[in-house]
Amino acid sequence: MRDRGMWSKWTWLMALVALVAVLAVACSGDDDDDDGGDTGGSGFTDAGYKTAGLDQAKVVTYDAEIPIGISSALTGDTAGLGIPIADSAEAAGDGVTIKGHAIKWVREDDLCTPEGGPAAADRLIKAKVVAAVGPICSGGTRAALKTFDDAGITHISPSATAGDLTSPTRAEGPYVTFFRVPVLNSDEAKAQAKFAHDTLGAKKAFVVFDTDDYGKDLAAEFQKYFKEDGGEIVGTPAGYEKKTTDFKSIIANIKDAKPDVIYQAGFYAEATPFLTQLRAEADLKEIPYIGGDGIKNDELITGAKAAADGAYLALPGTTGSQFDTYKDKFAKLFKGDADTATFGAEAYDAATAIIKALEKVAVEKDGKIEVDLKKLNEAIKDSNFEGASGKIEFGDNGNRAGGVVRFFKVEGGKYVQLEAGKK
Amino acid sequence: MTVIFLTSAEFWADQFVNGMTTGSIYALIALGYTMVYGVLQLINFAHGEVFMIGAFAGYGVLVSMGGDDISGGMIALALVLALIAASAASMVTAVAIERIAYRPLRNAPRLAPLISAIGVSVMLSHLVDDGFLSGRSKFYPTIFPAGNLDLGPLSVSYLQLFLMVSSFAMMMGLWWFIQRTKLGRGIRAVAEDRDNASLMGIDVNRAIVVTFALGAIMAGMAGVLYGLFFTSIRGSMGFVPGVKAFTAAVLGGIGSIQGAVIGGYFLGLTETIGRELLNEIPGVNLPNQWKDVVAFSLLVLVLIFRPNGIFGKVETKRA
Repeated sequence: MRDRGMWSKWTWLMALVALVAVLAVACSGDDDDDDGGDTGGSGFTDAGYKTAGLDQAKVVTYDAEIPIGISSALTGDTAGLGIPIADSAEAAGDGVTIKGHAIKWVREDDLCTPEGGPAAADRLIKAKVVAAVGPICSGGTRAALKTFDDAGITHISPSATAGDLTSPTRAEGPYVTFFRVPVLNSDEAKAQAKFAHDTLGAKKAFVVFDTDDYGKDLAAEFQKYFKEDGGEIVGTPAGYEKKTTDFKSIIANIKDAKPDVIYQAGFYAEATPFLTQLRAEADLKEIPYIGGDGIKNDELITGAKAAADGAYLALPGTTGSQFDTYKDKFAKLFKGDADTATFGAEAYDAATAIIKALEKVAVEKDGKIEVDLKKLNEAIKDSNFEGASGKIEFGDNGNRAGGVVRFFKVEGGKYVQLEAGKK
Repeated sequence: MTVIFLTSAEFWADQFVNGMTTGSIYALIALGYTMVYGVLQLINFAHGEVFMIGAFAGYGVLVSMGGDDISGGMIALALVLALIAASAASMVTAVAIERIAYRPLRNAPRLAPLISAIGVSVMLSHLVDDGFLSGRSKFYPTIFPAGNLDLGPLSVSYLQLFLMVSSFAMMMGLWWFIQRTKLGRGIRAVAEDRDNASLMGIDVNRAIVVTFALGAIMAGMAGVLYGLFFTSIRGSMGFVPGVKAFTAAVLGGIGSIQGAVIGGYFLGLTETIGRELLNEIPGVNLPNQWKDVVAFSLLVLVLIFRPNGIFGKVETKRA
């Protein structure tokens, strides 16, 4: 049956193949361009305050309770991180009243995705929250920055670590409504690279990463610092999508590249099958493995069991003077274990920063509470207190000032914190 | 082709084995698609979920028998029980689906059971994923004894060996059943000409139910093998393998059992090796997810040359 169209089916086929080939070549090179974001760069600008509507007073009134929002992953594979974070934030409100008014915590599920972030933000804004903790993931945060900013609602993320969140590509500079508590990807990656190169003595690293914002950014930073330290990245860094379960192909590539250390930037839901399949290979049983903060979670150990033994996990942040208070409240209210809740202390501090700022600026009037969002934003910016994750102070672009990375090793089914310089 | 020797022979042997193991799983699932299509001319979109249910049933059995603590002789027992439980659960699911969602629509316009199938598929996967698991994964206990069989550059783990051998055994078992038993003959008769078969005294409904049951058993066991091999299972796990297995069935010739098997292995191998081959070309670095692009492009190509699939038979016209 001859086609009567302008082109025969063969010409169309070749055109399609050519198009796909062009796309493949164009799209395959971009893993290396990402230099990670600037951590310094510009600070908040007047134009930035204007876009948020915070260049002038903006008063909101509440009758009874004061709603504070929490945007976190409450379902899905990151809920193992997200639910303890949300619980930790709420723990900060234990027994607290602002000028006689109680706090109402409003939780919304941001799914740890770029789609979920703005959706959760919208719901929180509709619930008229005065400020919010979250979103928890870099991708979700990036997408939600504008949503919160448009409404003038200040939000503090306990765990979004991608560098460029505080140096967006817009003329008005960083979003004045966004602050964050965790140590950034660049600092975490730097410490991990040093650990790999100096402490573990690795010269060749194979990088595996989740292709979402956080994973890509962290992996790019690690490669940069590892090479600066004198290491070599062997093989081609392998990206995978969330929900991937089949890592056999990547593992065959690892076997072929013969690295001294394997580095994974991503989340525990994928790290678990990856580690299990990795350690099932006789040749790869002993190669050291370093994972990032998204991987350090109890579920990694319960899921991967023996395969997780010997894994090194990095956790940005340290414990501060308020850690024990947080630990007690967390255990009392939610039966949570503060020692294993990654970013729990940061979430507690983020919530505390909001609470302290509210205590400073909230005005009681005829039994109602009035809050000037502009003053609240300023009070949060000027935060200066000892928290559960160390001293809480923000730089002029919303980043936390100062930061430390701790390393843990999985031994006998438990996370054991390592002393600096030891393995 | 000097291109291939840029990476070592071990690497290609590894990928070959990976392709064969993934291919086995696709082949097992594809059998269900091809058989149901053979007797009903219906694409059972819910088959992927039958596979998923099997995986979870096996998981349930393994966990209740001690999970990772199972050792020694208990491992064999646990595996057998898991496979049986998975087959049973999948079979019940498939037969129920047939009764509730397909049979009432047997004489409706062709689109109706198709939409019904899609509906059941979406409902089941979301029910397990969102309803029971809140979107989270479960992880299979890793109880299979570790160790490899080395034959030159080929290094096969015992688990891979087990997977390939048991899949093959199941396929042979199915083949024997279809070819040598009375029920099997009945199924073949219904596939060839449903109305005449019923005139010949064959219980068409029973043949159809048995077809669903057989396909489900294959898929259920594939679910357990998948869980043992890839570890991570979730409510939505049936979708992608389901589509791929269906593709494999079409590739091999929908309605043909040999076709489903060949199609499954073909897809598994091209998926694993295809992308790696292209990555050998200097300057080309396709990320992991491109293995699907490569595999499906090849599918399109094959269908252009052989629209009926490799073993395809031209559909007999129905009066």
